[in-house]
Amino acid sequence: MKRFVFHCLAVSSLTLATLAHAETRPEYGGTLRLTMHAVPSTLDPADSRVPDSFARRSLTSLIFDTLVVVDDAGRTKPGLAESWQAAKGNQRWQFRLRHGVRFHDGTPLTGEIVAASLRFANPGWSVRGDADSVTIDSEASQPELPVEVALPRNAIAKRDGQEKLSGTGPFRILDWQPGKKLTLAAEEDCWRGRPFLDGIEVEMGRSFHDQATALEVGRADLIEVAPEQSHHFSPAKGRLASSQPVELIVLVFARDSSSPDDKLLRSALGLSVERGSIQSVLLQGAGQAAGGLLPTWISGYGFVFSSQADLQKARQLRDQVQTARLWTLGYDGSDPLARVLVERIALNAKDARLSLVPTAVGLTDLRLLRIPLACADPWIALENVAAQTDLPRAQNKWSSAEELFSAEKAALATDRVIPLFHLPVFYAATSSLKNWTLRNNGSLELSNAWLGAAK
Amino acid sequence: MSFRRKLLIVFALTVFLSVACVAILVQWVTRNAFEKEENQRAAALVTQFQREFTKRGDDVARRVEAIAASDSVMRMAQALNGTSSDFAEYFDLARALAENHQLDFLEILDVRGTIVSSAQWPAKFGYPDPAFESLAPSTQEPFLKLEDLQDSTALGFFAVRVVRAGDRAVYVVGGRKLDKNFLSALDLPADTRALLYQNRGDRFSPDLLLDPGGNDPNPPRPREKLAPLVEAVRKYDQEISGIVDWSSDRADEEVFHAIPLRGVGKDRPLLGILLIGNSRRSYVELKRRIRDAALLAGGGGIVLAILLSSWASARVTRPVVELARAAQDVASGNWNTSVEVEGHDEVAQLADAFNRMTSELLTQKERLVQTERVAAWRELARRLAHELKNPLFPLQLTVENLVRAKSQNPEMFEEIFRESSETLLAEISNLKGIINRFSEFSKMPQPHLQRVQVNEIVEAVSRLFQAQFQARGSHAIVCRMQLDQHLKPIAADPELLHRALSNLVLNAMDAMPNGGTLTLRTREKDGKVAIEVSDTGSGLTPEECARIFTPYYTSKQHGTGLGLAIVQSVVSDHGGRISVQSEPGKGTTFVIELPSNLDAVPATAPSKQVTAGNVSV
Repeated sequence: MKRFVFHCLAVSSLTLATLAHAETRPEYGGTLRLTMHAVPSTLDPADSRVPDSFARRSLTSLIFDTLVVVDDAGRTKPGLAESWQAAKGNQRWQFRLRHGVRFHDGTPLTGEIVAASLRFANPGWSVRGDADSVTIDSEASQPELPVEVALPRNAIAKRDGQEKLSGTGPFRILDWQPGKKLTLAAEEDCWRGRPFLDGIEVEMGRSFHDQATALEVGRADLIEVAPEQSHHFSPAKGRLASSQPVELIVLVFARDSSSPDDKLLRSALGLSVERGSIQSVLLQGAGQAAGGLLPTWISGYGFVFSSQADLQKARQLRDQVQTARLWTLGYDGSDPLARVLVERIALNAKDARLSLVPTAVGLTDLRLLRIPLACADPWIALENVAAQTDLPRAQNKWSSAEELFSAEKAALATDRVIPLFHLPVFYAATSSLKNWTLRNNGSLELSNAWLGAAK
Repeated sequence: MSFRRKLLIVFALTVFLSVACVAILVQWVTRNAFEKEENQRAAALVTQFQREFTKRGDDVARRVEAIAASDSVMRMAQALNGTSSDFAEYFDLARALAENHQLDFLEILDVRGTIVSSAQWPAKFGYPDPAFESLAPSTQEPFLKLEDLQDSTALGFFAVRVVRAGDRAVYVVGGRKLDKNFLSALDLPADTRALLYQNRGDRFSPDLLLDPGGNDPNPPRPREKLAPLVEAVRKYDQEISGIVDWSSDRADEEVFHAIPLRGVGKDRPLLGILLIGNSRRSYVELKRRIRDAALLAGGGGIVLAILLSSWASARVTRPVVELARAAQDVASGNWNTSVEVEGHDEVAQLADAFNRMTSELLTQKERLVQTERVAAWRELARRLAHELKNPLFPLQLTVENLVRAKSQNPEMFEEIFRESSETLLAEISNLKGIINRFSEFSKMPQPHLQRVQVNEIVEAVSRLFQAQFQARGSHAIVCRMQLDQHLKPIAADPELLHRALSNLVLNAMDAMPNGGTLTLRTREKDGKVAIEVSDTGSGLTPEECARIFTPYYTSKQHGTGLGLAIVQSVVSDHGGRISVQSEPGKGTTFVIELPSNLDAVPATAPSKQVTAGNVSV
């Protein structure tokens, strides 16, 4: 009897160990079904007509590569460039290209192609390439240029005509229906190695609710989750992953303040917004109230800028102005979170005796914007926010943290912007999808993902 | 106007008036029927709306009841702790419940009336519901309420239920929109539509009007045209009806019934106005069709009347015209006239009667002529016998006297023979005179017409008898002349006319044995020349007047009675007419009327002079 029991135990232990080992061993094969609510009209990473989004970043990273990669710790690592060096006080950067890399159409990666791609993405750059290197010259010192070339918009693409794009990423384009569906197939000869997944099918333009339903019923493997819904995500449905707060929600005025009264009213508006209740109720606890443009995890000092509402002071400021004209507050009508945010902001403003009328159409006095932060580099992130909100650019980029703080403070002092929240992005996946992560820039890392059961 | 034209007018008028009367009557009946139907329809629609209203309200109440009874709400009522964490916890609850129970509005309020969760305005958590005061817990029936939304206001049916959990309570306020969908769900007839005006603001605003039909461009319906009706309801706070004309075409009119919709609370505010519109197109088009049909019928009737009258004239007026023509022939003396008889109707009977009448008249005339002829012969025989007897008797006496004298007084025979011879010769001359007069009457000549002045002949006659007028001595006759100096010449035989006038003058003289006044008058009368010979004699009785022109008739003790017959013969031969006017004791006037007849004068007619010596009796 004892022997029998011992044998059973041994067999079962061995079986369990085998199974456990099998579970952690990546498997090749399967097609990942990914859904997103964005509807990008182009896959070109450098097309500035299409706004930056986390979804676009995710797709770019699947198809294209950058010269340099920045890890979660903020360290630069080789990408298509094996090495790089600066000269002339960081005014010249030379990137030595990796050998043996080919585009999806079979064309070898050359400096000329890389230079052309970089010039396309940055018309103001002076870029030249030869067979195996690319040199970038600038008039000002660019100490963080490698970080900049690591941005998704600087991914290297071979452009043959308007619609024909070719990348060097782990997946190549099999079928592209702009704004609807994208089908990717694993690139067998990818310089990073063939991905585990055979392909990825991306469905676009799906609402968060539909995505959640798709995940629940097994029609999707990886979905986006709205920040305000993340609190309700049940672990039984799958694994939820979130990024650092990489999205800035901000009110941006269309013009500079026209008078001292206008400045007072703008300040009153900023003080009237109850970020705390909005964050806890409307955002369901996701994200953080923001007083500054950059979150603390990027700048290190974000907490310094106050995000507390002060209705009494707001009213006092308002009462100093004889006549407060009505403001129109614009928002993206397709974004349900934006709608409910502006409604609440309008109610808060009304409490401060300010008139704010939300509208989804036309030109408005101010707008609610959701700005994906470019990367973890604070200067690049601040530059990116300034570019999108028409704020003055920082003068001494990449200098000290104090300079950075001053620059941000100066930007806030223009009264053009009222930061509201920093939000992370959320994704959820079925338990069968393994080894997928989120980068610091909010994009998906799927090059090493694999599906637990073959599909 | 001819009979045919009169017939046409009568037919046309009859048809037209008949059609017009029918059309007016039909229009009046149609209008009344339409108005009655419209009122009934409006009343039915109002009833239907109220039923639908109640039904919708009950439905809302049921749904709210179900929500209030749900576990989630009950749990919420138990768990609410009055802090801001409540809002986060239940932020999405109202939306989810509203979605599950198909409500447009749902708010969950805490015991103080603070919004814990709102489906229609999620961002309003933590704010007090402004209508909480009027939502008395005892309000069990559904009610109307104006719900403030972020960018608008909506009217809806609401119900409220209280959920108690120990000493805690929550209010569940749910509702459904009273919107275009509700209006579209009403089962309306084809020409009817329902609109809803949301009563907000001080003045009418077109944007507050809900029209499920949308903007029908044909015809354009500017909403401002409903403003007076809406304002009237706002002012008088009662149901009001009115007609709205959307264009100049009356078919585009609509009759609107405006019904006020009130909310709850002690002042029951006017929240909305239901406008039920009935198109008058069918009625106006029906009226037009009736009018067009009436015009068509009237026009057709007139054409029919023309055709009918043409046919009728062929059937009716032709015999009548023929009858009239035949009657005229008879009147002009041609008694031998008949009319063709067709059919058996009254006209045919009339024609037959006419034919029989003319035939009878002809027979009677012939009989009368014969009788008169016989009477005239008898009279002639009597007058002859009388006239001849007078001279024959002295003749006989004279001859008998001669015979007696020869036998008894031969010595005196010579003297008696001489005296008797004179008497015999005188009486034989008298006989010859009588025979000559008869012979002359039988041989009256035809007139030889020439252009004459009647006044000249009258004056000649007057001159002729002037001496005889004076010769009466104390019984003289005064002759007065009243001649129209502007008398036109006529065609006449001056000699015969002179003779006729002379006879009349002689008769007048005979009628005034003791003197008197003879008046000779000429004048123009109806295009003819009238010659009047008047005396102041003893006059004639009506019977004498009737027979005076008969030959051999005389009222005198002596005379042949041919004088007036000769006059009548002359007048008749001239195409004229003679008449007599007389009363006993008042004198007599003979009137001769002669036509102008100048066309009958031959081109080379010999002229006869009228002299005073041409006298005939």
